[in-house]
Amino acid sequence: MAEQKWPDKYPIEGRRGRKYGTVAAMKVAPMVKAAIGGAVEAKRQGKAVAYCFIESIYDEIIRAMDIVPMWTENYAGICGAKRDAQRFIDKADSLGFSRSLCTYATCGLGFDAWREELGEMPPNAPWGGQVKPDVMLSSGQIICDPRNKWYQACQQFMPDVPVYNCAALWPLYEDDLDRHDVEAYYVKYITEDLRGLVRFLEEHLHRKMDWERLWEVIKLADETTDLHVECRELRKAVPTPMDTGDAMNTMVAQCFLMGTKEAYDFFKELRDELKYKVEHKLGVVPEEKYRLIWPGGLPSWFALTDFNYFWSKGAVFPVESTYHELVYSTKDLDLPQTDDPLEHLAWKWIRRQTYWWDKAKKRPGSEPDVEKLITWIEEYKIDGVVIHEAYSCRSWHVGLLWQVNQLSKIYRPIPVLTLKGGKKEVVYRELPSLVLESDMIDISSYSEAETRAKIDAFIETLESIKSRRVEV
Amino acid sequence: MDYFAGVDIGSTMTKVVIMGQEVIASVVRVTKPEQRRLAYLTMSEALREANLSFDELTYVVATGYGRINVPFADKQLTEISCHARGVTSLVPGTRTIIDIGGQDCKGIKVAGGRVVGFVMNDKCAAGTGRFLELTARALGVKLEEMGELALTSGNPVEISSTCTVFAQQEVVSKLAEGVALSDILAGLHQAIASRILSLVNRLGIEPEVVVTGGGAKNIGLVKALERKLGFPIVLPPDPLLTGALGAALLGRDLVEKAQKEGSFPTRQERRLEEVKFFA
Repeated sequence: MAEQKWPDKYPIEGRRGRKYGTVAAMKVAPMVKAAIGGAVEAKRQGKAVAYCFIESIYDEIIRAMDIVPMWTENYAGICGAKRDAQRFIDKADSLGFSRSLCTYATCGLGFDAWREELGEMPPNAPWGGQVKPDVMLSSGQIICDPRNKWYQACQQFMPDVPVYNCAALWPLYEDDLDRHDVEAYYVKYITEDLRGLVRFLEEHLHRKMDWERLWEVIKLADETTDLHVECRELRKAVPTPMDTGDAMNTMVAQCFLMGTKEAYDFFKELRDELKYKVEHKLGVVPEEKYRLIWPGGLPSWFALTDFNYFWSKGAVFPVESTYHELVYSTKDLDLPQTDDPLEHLAWKWIRRQTYWWDKAKKRPGSEPDVEKLITWIEEYKIDGVVIHEAYSCRSWHVGLLWQVNQLSKIYRPIPVLTLKGGKKEVVYRELPSLVLESDMIDISSYSEAETRAKIDAFIETLESIKSRRVEV
Repeated sequence: MDYFAGVDIGSTMTKVVIMGQEVIASVVRVTKPEQRRLAYLTMSEALREANLSFDELTYVVATGYGRINVPFADKQLTEISCHARGVTSLVPGTRTIIDIGGQDCKGIKVAGGRVVGFVMNDKCAAGTGRFLELTARALGVKLEEMGELALTSGNPVEISSTCTVFAQQEVVSKLAEGVALSDILAGLHQAIASRILSLVNRLGIEPEVVVTGGGAKNIGLVKALERKLGFPIVLPPDPLLTGALGAALLGRDLVEKAQKEGSFPTRQERRLEEVKFFA
């Protein structure tokens, strides 16, 4: 196996585990620490802090109003990654919250209850802890009941902190529904929803929205997203210069820092790194054998080293759906012109959510998420599918198995006769899948031995299919 | 003549198969904590049965949970690949394999003799041999008699719990109500069959369906599965040995493939010797 020659600007010396991962991803830990610790420090300085959910519609709004976000799901993710979430989940359990609930929520609720009981952070709270906010901004959309109800539940411990629920709806896909017929209606609703949010923030935080500033932040966010799209496109290369193991870190800039110069600079740097690696054929592993897709769902934050295990087998993930739900180039969204920044945000939201509709309609029985996966399977030259069913997050994980089953109807283990350059060729396009079962935060659901055994079996399956393709 | 061995160290049973063109020896022993020592003893016994020395074995493949505890193996492969290879060699039309082991349950989808998908239940005893073992103990019935007894039932009861622990409680209360043992056993087998099929259905079940593992020796469970599927299940001649057989066959496949290319699969120096923990 030939060792890749690595340039000094992207050093690999002294790196373990994710040896050939992106240098940009290595900068994420301090960014996250600054973001979380930043909220604690901001509160000390008397700045406004809001509990927020990532992948919502209000990032630009809070940035424009100088509100410091406290990303509560992701604080739970940090507790999970540090394997220090159990005591907070247990606390929530002792208060009567079901163990079947989203473990992001139970970790967060347990933490908040404990903090309010003590009047200070729980002992040895990871990264300084989760600070008490001035306001809480729910955003369950149409997928997540915890994101609708979690902050209301927090009010049991923080009755003086008001909540606003930003519904951010979108139409459900139907075969006979043309998105153009309904989009404007949803945009109108969402725009009013956002106006309500701005009024809420102005009232409770005693400040006025600077609309010019909001447009500037929106422009910066749009340019940042365009850079992120470029990064994703660059990962199509063989060998891939970056995979999902790193993307679960680089998502921080997309999800925690959207609308900031920091996020823009981060993706610019990442884009340049990936470009360099593509030009010099520097891959995530020295010998790339299998290319896999992560179709959706959350990883086990306490077991991201499982990606390293895949790497050790020559298996990489050039693309994932998770945290790309809102990553579309503004050009591709074809947004109507408007003078109203809130309406612009609403159009952007709706167009992102209906992006794959038109393509789905062309394949009877299909569905937008499946079309996205088929497109990416082809574009990224994917050999297999890996899904993780996180038991406590039915919102985001229900449907993954169905999607995999739909894919198996298209990528069947039968020989397919194709024409390539005028010549007939027999091709096998089967796409094996692996289902990992655990949780994103609750480590008691995870068995490293069993997970690694499943990965081993999956790799053998991929090898078997690959060798058949070579024989043919 | 080349000889190949497959060693399958499962959670409850350790199996060894030795073959040339045909199987010439097979041994099954109960797995105990000292897996390395047991692997040595079982292999030694199989070699005696085959009338071979260890050095006459061309290639050895280990599989099962304890596969890393076979120091004399040339290669380790997962049970998924090994069961698929073993079963499809015995039943060429196989499309779905259900392996009901002591502590886990697997579904394997095959096409053209190759694995195209698999599912494993490894966190929950329901649907595994452990479920039957524990309930046999609770009912005071011999494990090997449960299946036949279940078939004598005329009125299976509904066992609603899928959890092994809660199912035992349910069973005890049914006994106290005076429900016939055969009816309880039939209900239990139906519950296990439901649990197994709900797992394997994720792959899409297609005939021929082959059941392997210790669960295949339980006629009550096999019949319960068939009733729910609506078509017959195929049972291999010796369902405990399909993993070890598949391991040996895969070893043979690897060697033959390499020989066609003028080489031999890489392997480390290996010796069959008893592991001693104390001098």
